[in-house]
Amino acid sequence: MMPEMMPEMMDESPDDFRARARRWLRDNVPTEHPPVDGPESRAYALAWQQRQFAGGWAGLTWPRAYGGRELPVLQQIAWFEEYARAHAPSTHNALFVGMNHAGPTLIACGSDEQKAFHLPKIMQGDVIWCQGFSEPNSGSDLASLRTRGEVQGDELVINGQKIWSSYADIADYQELLIRTDPASSRHHGLSWVICPMDAPGITVRPIKTMAGPAKFAEVFYDNVRIPLANIVGGLNNGWKTAMATLSFERGTASLALQISLSQRVEELIAACDDVALGETLMDLRADAAALRAMSYQFAIKSESGPVGSEGSMIRLYFAELAQRVARVAIDIFGIAAPEVLAVHGLGYDYFDAYSETIAGGTAEIQRNIIAERVLGLPRGSR
Amino acid sequence: MDYDFTEDQAAILGGLEQLIGSLNIEPPKDAVFSAYSQPLDDELTAGGYLDITSQEGFGLLDGALIVEQLAQLPVSVEAATSVLIAPVFLEDTTRRPVAILAGALTKPARFLPMAKTLLADIGDDLLRIEIPEGAVEEVATLFAYPYGRLKNPENLPRVSLGSAQLPTFRRRWRIAIAVESSGLMQSALNLVLEHVKTRQQFGRPIGSFQAIQHRLVMAAELGQAVRWLGLRAAWSDSESDAAIAATFAQDAIPRFCTDLHQFCGAMGLTLEFPLHHWTYRLRALLGELGGSSAQAIAAADATWGQK
Repeated sequence: MMPEMMPEMMDESPDDFRARARRWLRDNVPTEHPPVDGPESRAYALAWQQRQFAGGWAGLTWPRAYGGRELPVLQQIAWFEEYARAHAPSTHNALFVGMNHAGPTLIACGSDEQKAFHLPKIMQGDVIWCQGFSEPNSGSDLASLRTRGEVQGDELVINGQKIWSSYADIADYQELLIRTDPASSRHHGLSWVICPMDAPGITVRPIKTMAGPAKFAEVFYDNVRIPLANIVGGLNNGWKTAMATLSFERGTASLALQISLSQRVEELIAACDDVALGETLMDLRADAAALRAMSYQFAIKSESGPVGSEGSMIRLYFAELAQRVARVAIDIFGIAAPEVLAVHGLGYDYFDAYSETIAGGTAEIQRNIIAERVLGLPRGSR
Repeated sequence: MDYDFTEDQAAILGGLEQLIGSLNIEPPKDAVFSAYSQPLDDELTAGGYLDITSQEGFGLLDGALIVEQLAQLPVSVEAATSVLIAPVFLEDTTRRPVAILAGALTKPARFLPMAKTLLADIGDDLLRIEIPEGAVEEVATLFAYPYGRLKNPENLPRVSLGSAQLPTFRRRWRIAIAVESSGLMQSALNLVLEHVKTRQQFGRPIGSFQAIQHRLVMAAELGQAVRWLGLRAAWSDSESDAAIAATFAQDAIPRFCTDLHQFCGAMGLTLEFPLHHWTYRLRALLGELGGSSAQAIAAADATWGQK
């Protein structure tokens, strides 16, 4: 179903678009804090997505054919800027995978049937997606993964184990990377599969993070049967599809978060009256401005097609800046401030930020990619 | 200069090691908010370890070595204040554990839930407050130490120790920050070194990758620097050494913790891997007494005088 009130945004001036976004956010941003895990976090995230969709603010750059608005990325940026200004719920929630890399992967590599079935559900806030790439012994070395899928008739029979699958305990679907050619090794013979999380044989064990919530999960597959029609990008061609996923995860997926980080820095500057922190804060402001410039340039360039590995530079810059901002926030308020000590306060943000340089490829992997694929340096030994 | 332990120091640390071994202390499971060990506190008190600086022939450096060793444990115990700070300000040193805070009396402080005494730097005075039963409410945090807040500080009798005591109080607090950080850093680093030797990716231990080796070497350097600056400050008990040691420790902690968690990957971000037992506490110490910029100003004041 298309959202109500759909003015022709393409004809709207940038200022009018921004003003309308600001008004809508003022009237619609939830006042209650998002729950951090469990069924409550699912309900909250879906309800917020549904509200954005109904208002015409979901899938701004997604294809019209599947319910998106197909707007220029500059309008997406304006929306994210207003979104951050309005203190709307962080996009780093249970919807992150669906909206930011599963959905874009389907747009880039999925069949028409897959797009028609899944994209509207993601956009409308009907479903949660999670990722199933990493395994206990295949983290940075993703190509060594062992979870296997055996082709039996028109189905895959999947056995194995995935880990660090955020929100798997509340997800409806998983972007699952498995080995479908038993004779293959490394990045050959893999397939990217849409895995319904309610399929018989799936067991999910939530894992508590050091920041408190049970955000991660381990997923076990015991003879899980999935139709071959759920393969995205072709049987045994999963590495290529996975690279598309990772290019989104390391590229435009964090755009909203990058913009909100800039907003956060400005809020810290406004909250601080300690001149001793002035130099640190101005360094953060410069870094945040540089990050925004890089992000915007990359996002606009991405409109014309795949941009390559430059996204890793921005992802890494963002990750390390996010950690520094979380650190300085505590310095400003003091370790014993209620804002810091609260269970989901700035202390939580600080410990949560450690994951920024690990998730979606560690900082070390990102640096290898940048060195080899962007700077053209020789590949070192692995 | 002599960097070796004296016979007495070696004997004390050996005895402490035995005591700790007898308690069979393991990293607590799922201990998000606080991992305080009352049995350890009881044994330390009975063994006379917490009033070492009052004993004939022992001084602040000996106390610092004890505090450093205790900080290596995966549980917390109120030792740094009792050993390094309280003896100067308490008439009755049995009125411990002792909590310390700087600023308003309504602020949360470490160890306040079990403290019998609070020493509070309120800017222009140092106050000693005896804590009666029921005067403290616990504050839930992610920083592993038990935190609490006085419910009605205005109702509690207090002893004014005078502003002249503040420099000593702050100096000893800075020494305690550095020495306790050193112990925490040693255990955290050892855990991560073991992890990178055994965790395999790309067919080899991740500790064999140069990028990881280099940063762990830098982490080890930071740990060593914090250690020797802290012990030097405990030995000299000087304003300048204490401020420099605390500045360096609080500056080093973010870099140190970030690298250690980084090399444990996602596992290191969970409660199922014990690294957080030390890094939670390091983060708390990082923010104490105004953080590194405040300590750096104190170091400058000790050098040039207050301007």
